[in-house]
Amino acid sequence: MSTTGTQVNRKEKAGTTMVEMCSVRVGQAYFGVPITHILEIVGSAQPKPVPLAPAFVGGLVHYRGDVLTTVSLRQLLGLPAKEGRQDILVLETAGGCFGLLVDAVGEVLTVSSADYEPNPSTLDERRRALFAGTYKLKEGLLIMLDPDRMDPMRLAEGLAA
Amino acid sequence: MDELTREFLIESQEGLDRMERCLTELEERPQDAALIAEIFRSVHTIKGTTGFLGFKRLEKLAHAGENLLGQLREGKLTADGPITTGLLHLLDSLRSILKTIEAEGGEGDGQDAELIGRLEELQAPAHAHTGHAGHKAPAPRRPVAVAAVPASAVPAAEAARQADAERENDGARQRAHASATAESTLRVDVTLLNRMMNLVGELVLTRNQVLQATAADPNLTLLSRRLDMVTADLRESVMKARMQPVSNIFSKMPRIVRDLSQSLGKRVKLQVEGQDTELDKSLLEAIKDPLTHAVRNSMDHGIELPGARQEAGKDPEGTLKLRAVQEGSHVLIEVTDDGAGIAVDKVRQKALERGLIAADRAAHLAERELLQLIFVPGFSTAAAVTNVSGRGVGMDVVRTNVERIGGKVEVDSRVGKGTTLRMRIPLTLAIIPALIVRSVNQSFALPQGALSELVHVPPQKAAAAIEWIEDTPLYRLRGRLLPLVFLDRLLMPANEHKRVTERDNFIAVLDADGRRFGLVVDGLADPEEIVVKPLSAVLKTIGLYSGATVLGNADLALILDPSSIALKAGVALSAEEGIQAQELEEESTATALQYLLVETAGRQAAVPLESVLRIEKLPVSRIEYIGYRPVLNFEGQLLPVEDAGGVLGAAQGDPQAEIVVVVCREGNRHVGIAVSHVLDVAGGGDLFEAGTSQQTAGVTLLKERVTGVVDLRGVAPLPATEQAGDWNRISETVA
Repeated sequence: MSTTGTQVNRKEKAGTTMVEMCSVRVGQAYFGVPITHILEIVGSAQPKPVPLAPAFVGGLVHYRGDVLTTVSLRQLLGLPAKEGRQDILVLETAGGCFGLLVDAVGEVLTVSSADYEPNPSTLDERRRALFAGTYKLKEGLLIMLDPDRMDPMRLAEGLAA
Repeated sequence: MDELTREFLIESQEGLDRMERCLTELEERPQDAALIAEIFRSVHTIKGTTGFLGFKRLEKLAHAGENLLGQLREGKLTADGPITTGLLHLLDSLRSILKTIEAEGGEGDGQDAELIGRLEELQAPAHAHTGHAGHKAPAPRRPVAVAAVPASAVPAAEAARQADAERENDGARQRAHASATAESTLRVDVTLLNRMMNLVGELVLTRNQVLQATAADPNLTLLSRRLDMVTADLRESVMKARMQPVSNIFSKMPRIVRDLSQSLGKRVKLQVEGQDTELDKSLLEAIKDPLTHAVRNSMDHGIELPGARQEAGKDPEGTLKLRAVQEGSHVLIEVTDDGAGIAVDKVRQKALERGLIAADRAAHLAERELLQLIFVPGFSTAAAVTNVSGRGVGMDVVRTNVERIGGKVEVDSRVGKGTTLRMRIPLTLAIIPALIVRSVNQSFALPQGALSELVHVPPQKAAAAIEWIEDTPLYRLRGRLLPLVFLDRLLMPANEHKRVTERDNFIAVLDADGRRFGLVVDGLADPEEIVVKPLSAVLKTIGLYSGATVLGNADLALILDPSSIALKAGVALSAEEGIQAQELEEESTATALQYLLVETAGRQAAVPLESVLRIEKLPVSRIEYIGYRPVLNFEGQLLPVEDAGGVLGAAQGDPQAEIVVVVCREGNRHVGIAVSHVLDVAGGGDLFEAGTSQQTAGVTLLKERVTGVVDLRGVAPLPATEQAGDWNRISETVA
């Protein structure tokens, strides 16, 4: 599933922008990733662990002739590791490509910027660093993930700091 | 930028490279008309094209240069020092303008009046007169020489440009010849070649997977073998397309040597050998800096001032030699000077001062080992920091750069005689032979380059074979202690691991830049040609892995980096005294070959170790026959098996009997030698027939016993096994 070239943002009435988000599930929680950052979704992959790698590294997968480093969202959120296969969102950021390991990839939702709110101040620090605000939907809250903040190099710097 | 301008830039740069080469040669042979003609042609071509493209600044400059060169060509002037310097300045200016055009699309607005004025001055009669004083060559000879140049063999791409430049005075026949060669060559973007190389790498991976998947199916064997051949041929062609002669970087050196000898007040003669040796384009780029650094270093610290040289009884003019030669799958590049050499004592002293080495160890290190310390970061023997070399960056940069591309660097030096810096560069980066090993339930690839041998220690023998000093495991390898590094303990320090007596232990004896150690893994798989995939930055920082690869069974494997493992595990540069003993032994038997000592049906025989690929233990029933010839179906390939000792015959009666087949490389094919047991590895001594100095062939002295050497060449090739032959050829190119 390639999303390149898709018209993503549609201007609507005065100042509100519609954004398309891919929903992913980890444990019981749902998150949204802006589809503009998604290169591809790889279903049920089994990443190879890398001994001595930082804990957030979920392993390596073979992706289109290259070896892709994955980041485990479960680990980032402090959840126990999951056995077996997981889905991977291949994300592109300024630093390059990496894979985000999630339990399952759901549907693409269109949300309005009018429903956006920044992170609440009561959120713990670890999550505040990962989340980029939430969208208030009828069904509940959709927490937005910022791919740039999950770039492995940045995470590694965060660990070192 | 339009196509025409881009083409012009590439051509002009090539022309200027040629001009630079000729100019440095011109200093030595100022009368050489062919050189002057070549320089003239380069400048003339630039002038002609710039007029057409509208680069006025370039045109004016080239025009001034052309006038001066015209005078030289006609013999009115002689190329003395000032003229060569002037022409070099012209070259630099032309280059910088070309660079500006490349970056900005326009020529920029620099001032060239001064240079043009100088070039005109050089043509002035006064100067011409002094030039004439030393003018010896007879003028009438020149036009002949000029005409002779284009006819000589020049690379095809250059021939076309020459034809352009010489259009006005060249014969029609020559032009026809030149354009014919031009049509058979083509400029290709390097990024496209890189992409092709990646795709070929992918194809190799897919081939490996197909071969493994179809190995059992006889219907597909032919097809997959064909795929195998085509893939290998394609890979070779693409690799060939990326090859470039080392002359591309060697040609930069004369100018550097010239400029440096002037600024240092030294006299240096540059000799270049093996210019045609080819190397992958990206590798060539990568060694440019280390090579330049090495040359600068030799000029600055190696070669002495003319006075000092004379006092030492040497030619006041020093010699700097660049040499490139291909050795198997590597290219050897040497920078040799006949300068002062490196004083080992000073190296030792400095290393102690800087705390790079412990005192007790320094006393034990052999001279050669001590010399290699100059590559350690923070080491510089120069008493004074000069602006030529030794500005904070030392030889460690050379080493880092060379090792980054999988090469090795070492230094040899004799006080008063000179220094040789040797760089071993792999022919290609992308695909390397590797041994697949298993540990912590995962596969890892171990590059064959660092692997010297494998030792199997089964669990029941482990308690006795692996010895400990406190917590440090050691193995006695032929009487010397080898430090062991357990891969599982290194990779997962927090976990509990099986004791050595509870599992199989395979010791991979590795030699990583003088650090010798045994890496213990739980299992071995087949060797494979692997395609190196880069790792993301975050995993590179772990430092243990040099990349990752996809194996034939579609499994992902990390590529282990032996030198980093050695560093991480604290294996110091030849830390064990064993190394020194070994070095000594190697020196004393410098010409001795290492042999694998085998037993064939009661008799001992020797197989040259360098040709042994692997040793297979298998039931005698695996051996099949084509007519009367025993063959082994080995990884889907037929391997002719030599049974000179009658091992097969002896085992024939008992279907359960096991034999050992030593798989050897012979020329471009593989052959198997059937033996009963493998006994040991030993260095062979030469034997001389009594009363003569004639070396006897076919026998060697092993462990004080005269032992016959198996004649691998004598193993007749199988009939109609061309395909197998092809396969062998391929594996040889990477082995």
